[in-house]
Amino acid sequence: MTITLYDFELSGNCYKLRLLMSILKLRYNIVPVDFYPDRQHKADWFLRLNPFGQLPVLKDDDLILSDSGAILAYLAKKYDESGQWFPNDPAVTAEVLRWHAVADDITSTASAARLALGFFYDFDIEKAQKGAHRIFRLMDEHLWFGEREGRDWLCSPDHPTTADIACFPYVMLSEEGGISRQDYPALRRWTDRVRRIPGFMVMSGIFPAGRAAEES
Amino acid sequence: MTLSLSDPTWYPIASSDDLPFRHVYQGQLLGRELAVWRADDGNVNVWENRCLHRGVRLSIGINEGGELKCQYHGWRYANRSAGCTYIPAHPADAPARRIQNRTYPVREAYGLIWSAANDEQAFRPFAGAEGHDWFALRPMPVNAAPEDVLAALAGLAPDDQPADLLPGLAVRFGGTWYFVQPVDAGRAVIRGLLREQPADAVATLRHYNETLSKLRDRLERAAARKPAPEPLQPTFEKLSADLATMPDIAIPRGNTITVVVRRKWTSADGVIGFELAARNGHLPTFQPGAHIDLHLPNGMTRQYSITNGPGELMSYIIGVKQESASKGGSKVLVETVREGDLLSISEPRNNFPLRRDAVRTVLIAGGIGITPLLSMARFLDKSALPYELHYFTRAGEQVAFRGDLEALHGKVILHTGLPRAEIGTTIASALGQWSMAQHVYVCGPGPMLETVRDTATAQGWPEESIHFEYFRNDKVIDNSSAFDVELARSAMTLHVPSGKTIMEVMRDAGLTVPSSCEQGACGTCLTTVIEGEVDHQDVYLNRSEKASNTCMMTCVSRAKSARLVLDI
Ligand SMILES: N[C@@H](CCC(=O)N[C@@H](CS)C(=O)NCC(=O)O)C(=O)O
Ligand code: FES
Repeated sequence: MTITLYDFELSGNCYKLRLLMSILKLRYNIVPVDFYPDRQHKADWFLRLNPFGQLPVLKDDDLILSDSGAILAYLAKKYDESGQWFPNDPAVTAEVLRWHAVADDITSTASAARLALGFFYDFDIEKAQKGAHRIFRLMDEHLWFGEREGRDWLCSPDHPTTADIACFPYVMLSEEGGISRQDYPALRRWTDRVRRIPGFMVMSGIFPAGRAAEES
Repeated sequence: MTLSLSDPTWYPIASSDDLPFRHVYQGQLLGRELAVWRADDGNVNVWENRCLHRGVRLSIGINEGGELKCQYHGWRYANRSAGCTYIPAHPADAPARRIQNRTYPVREAYGLIWSAANDEQAFRPFAGAEGHDWFALRPMPVNAAPEDVLAALAGLAPDDQPADLLPGLAVRFGGTWYFVQPVDAGRAVIRGLLREQPADAVATLRHYNETLSKLRDRLERAAARKPAPEPLQPTFEKLSADLATMPDIAIPRGNTITVVVRRKWTSADGVIGFELAARNGHLPTFQPGAHIDLHLPNGMTRQYSITNGPGELMSYIIGVKQESASKGGSKVLVETVREGDLLSISEPRNNFPLRRDAVRTVLIAGGIGITPLLSMARFLDKSALPYELHYFTRAGEQVAFRGDLEALHGKVILHTGLPRAEIGTTIASALGQWSMAQHVYVCGPGPMLETVRDTATAQGWPEESIHFEYFRNDKVIDNSSAFDVELARSAMTLHVPSGKTIMEVMRDAGLTVPSSCEQGACGTCLTTVIEGEVDHQDVYLNRSEKASNTCMMTCVSRAKSARLVLDI
């Protein structure tokens, strides 16, 4: 198997795949795509890989895949022997996919605000920020009650799934879009937990968490 | 009602549950952002949410258990004092000045964390607080003016049970208390408390959460129709340039602190442990390797290393060697000082700073020399940095602080009763060949220090990687020079003939000069030099301090120039 990631270093959607591959200890090659300022994701050669003109794209031997959530599911199903990251149980699969959809909503809000502020995209910043706050509020509530009910992650299993990977990057990068997480303490604690997953790696703008109390 | 930046009222700013260990919570009160974190000892810190270095938010920093580490350039700040304990850009120096972040008063009570903009008011429990097992609701942030939030909460009261408006933006009806945290002019957090634990906790929490969510939505819709209030404008005091840069030399501070002997115990054969506690609040920030001067009841001063780990500021623990009764110092402590006695100590000073950027740290202790190295091991331990601690004693019964050593996670190797020859080979293999970014720290009897220094040098360890602390100055002092000293503040010029020390001449002239070891090892007589060139002969100052020519030890050091001007 040869995995190749068409990657932009500052893209949270590409980082999702780097993160899962790091956790699963997968080796892969990187083809850098100059998303900004060169807009190579709209170049002919890239559109042949993904006609939607979006990063990330992942190639596994001859198989070409796009959409970070779809690729997370693929990598987990194919390479995660523990079966934990994308569980087979139908109810849990539905839960995970539900949060993959939320991840897309986070991309279109928190990530859009970040692109507007940091990459000069012509988006409605205020609308994007408001949308992100609406999602973060719901996530905070979900995670806060999770803490009361003994659930540490977005989905019900007692371990993280691709849902956590999918939602994490643009939550963590939200300040770059002018979206404070001060009002979401449970969401902030969850980002500590994600950052303590063995094999976790950082990207620009995402700092490591310290060690948890138990392990030190 | 308008909010005031200087409102001294205590408000809840978080739930106790918001602060698990090793987490940093982000809060805000009256427009000021807060970094809030619980140390491993349970203490809650409420600090201004800015690193003194470049203003980065400390809420994105790392809670290491006893210190908070800034994500940006790694400045570390101690639990309780918020004093800076380490600056990675100056890894070999101890932050000597009192660099200290701004702290806010804090109290943990009734399941909530309380704070205030200033400490003008003592914390007082709200009326009816005592005697109940309080249950905290899910906090509800609201983008609306705090006074509007309070009014809306009062409106939740049932008709037959009107709400009681309480001081400090609070309201009560039945067994439910609501506190409004004034985050900013247009932002608030509702923090509810129930007077009793409900039968079904989660169901109760969900019920109140639903009620408060609806209230929030209503308040926010109303707020959106009004012009947004002007946010509060807190000013941030800038750190003076003086504090923001590394001083060339660590000038000890004259302050003494009264401590109470909370505990005195036999830690090992020949070693007495003393726990010196603050009488109120906490003791000053210290760095690993630091020591204090202890002013003894008989007028003598002795130095003892602090054995504590990071952020342990409620008391200092020292170890005193029983038989080193030279000049009666330890003897007084061991024989006459009792638990409950008051003693006077100096602020901590560090002549033995620990680098925290090493890939390998070797700590070598001989006998009572364990004390500073125990502190170092504890700091490295908390930050999960690798180290090896070698502790040499003549017999197993002489191993002091055994329980504390066993609590460490690093490599701790006890060498007991080794014959002299074997000590040398053990040190040699403990050190190994030097490679990049390895450091050794040694404290113990003179001959052992020499062995470690010589062996390390022979095995390729450069001078900068060998760190040591002398208990004594064994150098031969050359006191042949003769010169004049001008005492700037005393308006006096004295002649120092050969054979006499500056200290002796000053005392002959009737001046009171504090001293302790009188051999240039302890630092008590450190004096600022205004003019002239110093002939340093002590083992106290390090090379850069000596080279700065701005300070000297008057008990052994002299002048190379014909005249010295001292700040005395
Ligand atoms: N749902 C897609 C969204 C991917 C996405 O928005 N990618 C960004 C880069 S982070 C992109 O290529 N945007 C360009 C565009 O949408 O035209 C996924 O999760 O992969
Ligand atoms: S800003 Fe905190 S260490 Fe530089």
